Amino acid sequence: MAKTKKTSVEPSEEKVTLEEAAIVAEEMPVTAADEVAEQPAAAEETAASFGDKVKAFGGKIKEFFVGVGVKTKDFFGNLFKKDKKTKEEKLGEMAVVAAASDGQIETVVATSLLESKLSAKEKFGRFCRSQSGWLFVLPAVILMAVFTFWPILSAFINAFKQNYSTLTGKYDGWGFENFIRVLKGDTGTGGATFIQCLVNTMVFTFISVPLSTLLALLISVALNSIKPLQKAYQTIYFLPYLTNSLAMGAVFATFFAVIGTTKNTENVGIVNQVLQGLGLLPNETFINWLGTSSPKWVISANLTIPWAKYIVVIIYEVWSGLPFKILILFSALQSVNKQYYDAAKIDGASKNTVLWKITTPMISPMISYLLVTGIMGGMKQYSAIVGLFGEQMGIDYDMGTMVGYIYRYIEDGHMGYAFAGSLILFAIIMIITAINRRISSKKVSY
Amino acid sequence: MKITIQNLTKTFPSRNKKEKKENKGGVTAVNDMCIEIPSGKLVGLLGPSGCGKSTTLFMLSGLEQPTSGKIFFDDQDVTTLAAERRGIGLVFQNYALYPHMTVEQNIMFPLVNMRIPKAEAQARALDTARLVQIEDLMARKPSELSGGQQQRVAIARALVKMPNVLLLDEPLSNLDARLRLQTREEIKRIQRETGITTVFVTHDQEEAMSICDTMVVMKLGVVQQIGAPQDIYDDPANLFVANFLGTPPINIFKGEIRKGKVYIGKEAVATTEIADQPVYVGIRPEGFIYDAKGALTLETDHIEVMGRDKSIVSRHESSTKPTIRSIVDSDVALPKGAAKLTFNVKPNKLFLFNAETEERLI
Ligand SMILES: Nc1ncnc2c1ncn2[C@@H]1O[C@H](COP(=O)(O)OP(=O)(O)O)[C@@H](O)[C@H]1O
Ligand SMILES: [Mg+2]
Repeated sequence: MAKTKKTSVEPSEEKVTLEEAAIVAEEMPVTAADEVAEQPAAAEETAASFGDKVKAFGGKIKEFFVGVGVKTKDFFGNLFKKDKKTKEEKLGEMAVVAAASDGQIETVVATSLLESKLSAKEKFGRFCRSQSGWLFVLPAVILMAVFTFWPILSAFINAFKQNYSTLTGKYDGWGFENFIRVLKGDTGTGGATFIQCLVNTMVFTFISVPLSTLLALLISVALNSIKPLQKAYQTIYFLPYLTNSLAMGAVFATFFAVIGTTKNTENVGIVNQVLQGLGLLPNETFINWLGTSSPKWVISANLTIPWAKYIVVIIYEVWSGLPFKILILFSALQSVNKQYYDAAKIDGASKNTVLWKITTPMISPMISYLLVTGIMGGMKQYSAIVGLFGEQMGIDYDMGTMVGYIYRYIEDGHMGYAFAGSLILFAIIMIITAINRRISSKKVSY
Repeated sequence: MKITIQNLTKTFPSRNKKEKKENKGGVTAVNDMCIEIPSGKLVGLLGPSGCGKSTTLFMLSGLEQPTSGKIFFDDQDVTTLAAERRGIGLVFQNYALYPHMTVEQNIMFPLVNMRIPKAEAQARALDTARLVQIEDLMARKPSELSGGQQQRVAIARALVKMPNVLLLDEPLSNLDARLRLQTREEIKRIQRETGITTVFVTHDQEEAMSICDTMVVMKLGVVQQIGAPQDIYDDPANLFVANFLGTPPINIFKGEIRKGKVYIGKEAVATTEIADQPVYVGIRPEGFIYDAKGALTLETDHIEVMGRDKSIVSRHESSTKPTIRSIVDSDVALPKGAAKLTFNVKPNKLFLFNAETEERLI
């Protein structure tokens, strides 16, 4: 009697999760055997008085073990594929042993409590607790599903529908026509081709991101080595970050402007004046940085390189990318242990050597982070070009980016091209990210 | 190469701006230090934490500029010479190995900066690595090494350029006890093999005593005593030095000189010719001789038997420390369970210090 009481008071069992229960059950045979060996007399006595109950329990336990087995299989089956079978086998064995043997009351009572005391409500509570991680991420998962996963999936499906209309939902059939037309530049709407936008984006990104990272590195190293006015410079360098990119684009547009009436009916912006002043341009000639007659190289029917405009965009992107990069690299520099610089001094390293052989590798994780995120951001460039060249992104989208291209076709209702374009962009970003990861895992770790 | 340090002083300015303007409130890490370090010797800078050892070392290396005073390498004044032009090797307290370079690249780094051709640099790096026995680890990164191995790499990097002077800042403090013993022998061996003048900084008196040719004991930026380890141990200049050297540490009693006798409490333990005055009496643990009719009575706390000798832990009301440790040979028969034991004191193990200045009297 006393024995039964003792076991039934164990409160810890209340909190055991299903998984734990299975494990506890697994360990039972040993305990039971020990008990029998140690106190055979006591066990026999209890067995005599509780013999009937034991048999009744036996059936229940068998049910329970099977139940646990099934549940375990459901919840953890995939996670524990390897042990699953053995676990079930053991559980089965145990049930038989426990039911058959009259001497193992301890086991019987203890384990049966796991099951018999639980109401359906409690079982549900237990399930919720053990799976509560899911509940916490659920809101985010739902939002992601609605606003991210579904649109991606939808774009993926609709990209293969020919002449798809979002208004009516009608389409002429399935196929790769959208992709073919986009890549061939055969969209029948005029304006810049997808290839043009792709090249634009690539040039902007792969020149401006490394360039601004390099500049940011040099500036933050310089900033790190000066004491007076360090805070003031830091603030100045950070200011562009707080400025709206459309406003910055407008300011740049005036810097490079050749609008108005003075010379050849055109007004000279500050950049041209400076170039003239420095004697880099012959007298009376100006570069038309942004206008309709801006100089360009024609590569093919589908592709031109308006190099003067490219220069403006790249300067703009480098400049607007600097603040954040300086902020990150500067704080990375501050966290480098000063002792390495002392050691380098003792080892006779020149300033140059220190910069490239000590400093840069030390902050290489941050540099890599900036390059990766910078490139991903560059692939999605849009607003800066609009700021500089207006909604048409230059003349008929000749300065268009990939996002600009996609947006343009969403605007004028050619959804199929937009979907195809965005899937191609998606694939390109994936490939670039994969390459980035390969490189950075080789170069960055130490 | 001989090193001469003349009146070397280093004051770190105060953080407080007002104090800084008035040149007050700074920390004087090294105060008017004068040392001569003979060529090819291993010299230990010993003192408690914060006494200015590292600062001294950094001034020798050129990483810190002295506030005043001069440093000479042989006859050349190097006080304002840049670190990289002094031809020194420095091992930092936590090694400062470049984490992104392999062991080989770490060791070769000083040579690369000297524009030594790659093949030669590699050969020299390998030679140095052999000297410190890490030639098998050349391809690893520092993070893949144990503390002891890192320390060897740091020494190899300091040695590879064949420096005139090797400076070591607490190089053993990051190692476990066993490795520390082993490595200090190693440092001694390397120093002897290369014959490089070496300055070794440590706060561990046992470490300094065991490997240094000459020891400089410092306290709060001021040099207390310079000499061979055994000489300083046998003949400490003041109470601080006597206290700092020796394990177990020296026992200090408040005492008094009266009419040519040294009293601890009411008992006269020695005779002296010094004028009557209050004193500190220092007795080394090994300076006690058990004698049933000894001069000094100590209340026994317990006795630890440690193989070769017995360590008697006892108390005395005049002692400045809670317990007194005396060490006697294990053959000495002590009465069992005695509450009090009496001792005579070996005269050469007894020191007297002025009670105010704490300077040594005898
Ligand atoms: N850069 C510093 N600025 C201000 N005080 C310092 C600086 N470096 C060391 N000190 C002070 O100088 C004293 C000696 O320091 P240090 O030479 O590092 O002692 P240690 O003997 O432990 O190596 C200490 O009181 C320390 O606080
Ligand atoms: Mg130090």
